[in-house]
Amino acid sequence: MNKSIIKIVVVITVMLSFIACNAQIKNAITETVKIYGNCGMCKKTIENAGNSKEIAKIDWNVDTKIATLTYDGKKTNKDAVLKRIALSGYDSDTFLAPDSAYSKLPTCCQYDRVAKVAVETKSKTEIILENQGKHANHLETTTVKIQKENQLKAVFDTYFEVKNALVKTDGQTVSAKATALLLAINAVKMDKLTAGEHAIWMNVLKNLNADAAYIAATKDVKNQRDHFDTLSNNIYELIKVSKQETPTYYQFCPMANDGKGANWLSKENAVKNPYYGAMMLSCGKTVEIIN
Amino acid sequence: MKNKKIKIVGIVFLLFISKIIFAQKIVRYDLYVRDTIVNFGDKPKRAIAVNGQIPMPTLTFTEGEIAEIYVHNELKESTSLHWHGLMLPNKEDGVPYLTQMPIEPNTTHKYVFPIIQHGTHWYHSHSGLQEQIGMYGSFVMLKKPSDPTFRKGIDDLPSVPIVLSEWTDVNPNNVHRMLHNATDWFAVQKGTTQSYAEAIQQGYFKTKVANEWKRMNAMDVSDVYYNKFLINGKNESQLYQFKAGDKVRLRISNGGASTYFWLNYAGGKITVVANDGNDVAPVEVDRLIVAVSETYDVIVTIPANKTAYELLVTSEDRTKSASLYIGEGIKQIIEPLPKLKYFEGMKMMNDMMKMNGNLNDMGMSMSYNQMDMNVVMYPEITGVAKKVSDKMGNMKMTEDDYTSNKLSEIITLNYSMLKSPTKTTLPKEVPIRELKFELSGNMNRYVWSLDNKVVSETDKILIKKGENVRITIYNGSMMRHPMHLHGHDFRIINGQGEYAPLKNIIDIMPMETDVLEFNANAEGDWFFHCHILYHMMAGMGRVFTYENQEANPLISNPKSAQRKLFAEDRKFHFMAENDFATNGNDGMAMISSTRWSIGTEWRLGYNAMHGYETETHIGRYIGKMQWFMPFVGFDWRYRKIHEDAIEKSFFGQESTKDIRSVFSAGFEYTLPMLIKAQAEVFTNSNFRLQLERMDIPVAKRIRIDLMWNTDKEYMAGLRYIISRNFSFKTHYDSDMGLGLGVNLNY
Repeated sequence: MNKSIIKIVVVITVMLSFIACNAQIKNAITETVKIYGNCGMCKKTIENAGNSKEIAKIDWNVDTKIATLTYDGKKTNKDAVLKRIALSGYDSDTFLAPDSAYSKLPTCCQYDRVAKVAVETKSKTEIILENQGKHANHLETTTVKIQKENQLKAVFDTYFEVKNALVKTDGQTVSAKATALLLAINAVKMDKLTAGEHAIWMNVLKNLNADAAYIAATKDVKNQRDHFDTLSNNIYELIKVSKQETPTYYQFCPMANDGKGANWLSKENAVKNPYYGAMMLSCGKTVEIIN
Repeated sequence: MKNKKIKIVGIVFLLFISKIIFAQKIVRYDLYVRDTIVNFGDKPKRAIAVNGQIPMPTLTFTEGEIAEIYVHNELKESTSLHWHGLMLPNKEDGVPYLTQMPIEPNTTHKYVFPIIQHGTHWYHSHSGLQEQIGMYGSFVMLKKPSDPTFRKGIDDLPSVPIVLSEWTDVNPNNVHRMLHNATDWFAVQKGTTQSYAEAIQQGYFKTKVANEWKRMNAMDVSDVYYNKFLINGKNESQLYQFKAGDKVRLRISNGGASTYFWLNYAGGKITVVANDGNDVAPVEVDRLIVAVSETYDVIVTIPANKTAYELLVTSEDRTKSASLYIGEGIKQIIEPLPKLKYFEGMKMMNDMMKMNGNLNDMGMSMSYNQMDMNVVMYPEITGVAKKVSDKMGNMKMTEDDYTSNKLSEIITLNYSMLKSPTKTTLPKEVPIRELKFELSGNMNRYVWSLDNKVVSETDKILIKKGENVRITIYNGSMMRHPMHLHGHDFRIINGQGEYAPLKNIIDIMPMETDVLEFNANAEGDWFFHCHILYHMMAGMGRVFTYENQEANPLISNPKSAQRKLFAEDRKFHFMAENDFATNGNDGMAMISSTRWSIGTEWRLGYNAMHGYETETHIGRYIGKMQWFMPFVGFDWRYRKIHEDAIEKSFFGQESTKDIRSVFSAGFEYTLPMLIKAQAEVFTNSNFRLQLERMDIPVAKRIRIDLMWNTDKEYMAGLRYIISRNFSFKTHYDSDMGLGLGVNLNY
């Protein structure tokens, strides 16, 4: 019994010394560098991100925020290690972590980003350019027109929100937006519609209400999509007779609806298919531009 | 009196003319092409530098000038320079054996041409594979400030020429040969073997089986493994001269031989203002992919002080990237593109591939990169990979297989978003010439062609000066191809009507149909080809030529020049392998070209009982997919057979002779699961049927070989790949028994 314990201890010692040997870094260069972070959890993430077998080893001090960096000078350099650490969410004085990586950190690890310089709301050059009226010509100065309140605007806007949620296959939001759509439909003051709008409105109102209610009632995206098809067709009828400030794109995907095809409306020409979500996001094409 | 008037008018006129002549400033560049050694990859390797640098120096001109470029060839091989995207006299176009003879070693060639356009272009060697090892550089032609199309806020911004490229430590000739021999070493290096073990692990076993059932090898978005990606010859570099608020115009050319590059910017949106040297109405995007040999002018803004923003350049296969930090100070980096979900891509490919090898677009009319089927592989669009339950037979994709993602708001540039700021309509009331091409290819044998014909198998395409040429291209192959036309800009019919953008490269994704048109207005022989270097060398192209045009003075012997041009895709590629095992030597050697294959196999035992045997086949591949290969052959065998051990074949035919030496004829056909079936009749009237499946990818580096034939011979082998040319192998052979050894291949 005793013997076997000794044996195990010996084996473990041998193994550990092996690991220690392996951890030896050749052509070692040691530097100290500041890495911004908060807590013991940060330490783990920082060191895991920076460590690289037989190439680099990091030891980060929670209190001083100073890391001791040992690396193989022939195989890597300080910047490469710091870049890896930045990609895991931690700033240094050389690299700023991507915002997306930082925001993925646990709340306790979201340190103050003192190294990051705030973006000025308006940069000097831009102001100068604007003053000279030379603002890059793609950003056309938008003339704000005060339009007569369009009764149907809220209906269309909420429709687009439903569509966008469907693009993301987010049943919860779809349902919420469809509820908003229902409210918008019921808020329309019919006496303020134009004659053309009024005629169509009377035709589609019942179906609009039914589809919106159905979509609002379920959180199953598949069922929502079934009704989004007819909903889109009715909105299309309506938007054709209604004046819009910006063009609307009437789009079609031949694969949707079990190969029968289905339409939808979008504010942008680029196709983002609401019937498949991410899988076939760009399936479809614009078949009509409604101005 | 009247005479005097005429004289004065004449003098004024003369002065005017001379002024025009004087206004044409000549700009001269001297380029010295030399061998060099570089350390881009992991070890020092040969490269070609011009004036001591890689990329080649940026050549800058202003529209209206005359370019005079002296090329001093100090290499030990011939060279040439092609001015990519330029409209110039045909003899200055720089395609050896087509528009000029190659520039021989220790000679100087002078290119002269007027600069009649503006925009970002580039130049590169058109000789062999020199483009892969350093011969690429920026070629910038500026607008005159008086140009009516001069765009304030764009054309007056500080601009930086940028050439993207890639580096491989493998000699490009070897890369070319390996590709033709269907090497999977690059896939091993990239980690994209997509073996059965990986498939099972990730829950895609049925997908993998379906893939092999449809006779496909692992799919990938790139062919070659590269050691480094470079921006202006560097993997990482910084532009310190810019500060907060600055707008910078980057003149980006993709000088890579076979790599598409994604551009992402840490400082916000990217505004695209020109493509292939032609202005486009500014369009803001989150990212764009630059096809091989395309150029894009983009504007980026530096949002904050004391910060440099990363322009991240990632290869399409996402194996590696290069970075350019724009601005001074701390570097704000951007998240790298997540790894591709290859098995999702494989599944998508399975759905699109018909049993006969044609593609089925499932009724989606695809064009102009608007629909990128590869999004199924992009985790940032379709969610991170998760283990899926495999559903075979359920061909219709359902969204349950994917997680929705919040990042689907990413705007990616596609060709339909490009719009010219000026009308680009072609002359009306001229004849229209309609041409149709199908891009065809065969990944297994690395044959790339148009309408299943390579350059040397076709005549030049005759067009008439003055007519409008409209080309419809369908990509029926499984890879995307950047098709490039020399000497002309074409407009792409992308829905922008009279404002269709002008381009000279069009990237066509699998199953897409794109239409382009141009006015035939420049006589000469113009190459139209896929710009992926190894595809072009395989013969993927055509030559346009004008009816009754003048002969090119630089080509004194057109017949022999044409033969030399054709020699490129007629080349035979050599491969060989031998298994040094305890029970004998097993091996094969083969040379093959686009259509022909000459191969010999041998099995050499260590004693007469085991025998010595060789089989030689000369075959020709038939059809687009090249699954069918009739052949004639010769077999020789010596084996000592015991009296009591007469072998009988499956068909009862006896094989009694110690020495057999026979001719044969037969055919080979690739069956589903990539099984090669071989039927062969010998001159001694024996008949043999053989089934063989080599290189089953069991795990990342493990391959299994299986063989059985009606002579009751069989073999099973297991191979572990150590390096490019070296594997461990064990196999059991019905003649020679169990063996253990090493396998060397070339």
